[in-house]
Amino acid sequence: MADRDLRAALRDFASRCNDNERLRQMNRDWTRTIAVRPSEDEPVFLRYEAGEVAVTDLADPDLVVEGPNEILCAIFTGETTPTEPYMDGTLLVRGSQDDMMRLDIISLLIWGE
Amino acid sequence: MAELRRVLPLRTAVTTSAGLASAAVNFFAAVEVAQYAGGRSAWLALLVAGLLITLSAANFSELSGLYPSAAAIRVWMRRGANDRLSMVGSLVYMMTVVLVVAADAFVLGHVFTAIVPAVPGLVWIALLLMIVTWANLRGVKVAGYIQDGNGLFLLGSLMVISVIGLMHVAPGHFAGVFHLGGGFLQSVALGVFIFVGFEWVTPLAEEFTDSRMIPRGMFMALGLVAVAFGLFTLAQQTLLPQARVAGSLVPQLLVGQAALGRLGFWWMVVASLTTAMTTFNGGFVAASRFVYAAARERVLPPVLARLNDRLVPQYALLGLFITSLLLAAVVYVSGRYVWLINTGAAVESFMYVMAGFLVINLRRREPNRARPFRVPWGVVIPGLSMLIFFALGIGSLTAASDLPGPVPWSLAFLVMLTAGAVIYVYRVVPRLKARSRVAPAPSRPSEAP
Repeated sequence: MADRDLRAALRDFASRCNDNERLRQMNRDWTRTIAVRPSEDEPVFLRYEAGEVAVTDLADPDLVVEGPNEILCAIFTGETTPTEPYMDGTLLVRGSQDDMMRLDIISLLIWGE
Repeated sequence: MAELRRVLPLRTAVTTSAGLASAAVNFFAAVEVAQYAGGRSAWLALLVAGLLITLSAANFSELSGLYPSAAAIRVWMRRGANDRLSMVGSLVYMMTVVLVVAADAFVLGHVFTAIVPAVPGLVWIALLLMIVTWANLRGVKVAGYIQDGNGLFLLGSLMVISVIGLMHVAPGHFAGVFHLGGGFLQSVALGVFIFVGFEWVTPLAEEFTDSRMIPRGMFMALGLVAVAFGLFTLAQQTLLPQARVAGSLVPQLLVGQAALGRLGFWWMVVASLTTAMTTFNGGFVAASRFVYAAARERVLPPVLARLNDRLVPQYALLGLFITSLLLAAVVYVSGRYVWLINTGAAVESFMYVMAGFLVINLRRREPNRARPFRVPWGVVIPGLSMLIFFALGIGSLTAASDLPGPVPWSLAFLVMLTAGAVIYVYRVVPRLKARSRVAPAPSRPSEAP
């Protein structure tokens, strides 16, 4: 059930990214697999390639984003910025800081400040 | 847990930690340490400071394993204390970066004055800060291995030049290398400044899959820094008359020249320049990311999170440039830099006190959370480090500064800085947060800024 909610949030997120011309341009050379992993559940993967993003079942991620399911859903639906749960240690990230910052910038460009 | 495709090796943990600790202003700090230690025993003060800092490194290792985060101290203080203390601590801590950049600019200005006396050092400082700011605004990234390699270049240079220099010293000049002067405690306190920044490798914790890399990297880096600056201080105090070193604004160039003649002089010129540029760049990258993140969570005005077309937080970067330039200009024109070293050493010491407190408090608050690295012997090491670094912090603040009058200027500056941060956090941040709560609902992409 939790997995389905997160998948729905990630599909909506992917759709918003793909509809945004500036984001497609920005990410055209950014090829990354991101594992979004709810606590004690299986991860869902986002794949960025040639400016497009899709929810996939690919493994072998470049970046892992981990936290409670409701926090992950809130982040990927724009109800909260990733910064707030990240700063209080609820959201954990593994991977390059540049990739992490890129993901935050993507949410900034979709939902604003 | 899904494994990462790319991870950083131990080498990067060592080079980053050693590189961040290796600021050009350390040359002045070494001279100041020697003045308090009674000259030739300064290397002992550095060794003691380095050993004491391993206690703090152990605390940082536990915290970093507990919450591996680029936001590091901000997260640990929020979990182990509270949000407001975390904000105040993070703001003051980040100011240390600006202090170090300003102090390195001072060193750089005097190196340029030594080689091109016709052009005022302040012009060089402004020019080099502008180049680093412009490169960052354009999204130009200095490759990690260049950034880190510069730190190792400085430490390697210090070791080689110092050893060569020491080979020229007559045996009689080693008299007093074990004599402790009356200000030995203060020399140890100021010796802390030499190691400032070793813990700034912890924000990279998310890029290592093996959480043992950060502790190992920090401990190895501390050893390298202690050996390199210990040798440099010993060479400086035995190769040259103490009065000449104490009165010089380019002590590293004097040591280079005494050891290897013109080659040594120019070698140390290059080492000073690369070190200062590395500090500028590393400081601006780290601090601009902190400012960006703070603006995103409405601790700082949201305008500071605005990006240019290269996705760089331009106002954050420009703010840092202006602040650093102003502070560097004040220090350069006044010629007073000791208060800056004293303040930086004190801020770091108090942050090490905080690290010990957080280790103890987080064990109480979150006893079951996984700790890949646990400081041994219960609360002995964290508690001891709190006591020691509190005393050293007070020692730094009460050490004589180069500003006029009986006022302890470093203490006054730190109190003003902290008071400003407290007032800001209690008065301004709630308003910024309130504004974010009445912000419009999330928009579709076509409506986004």
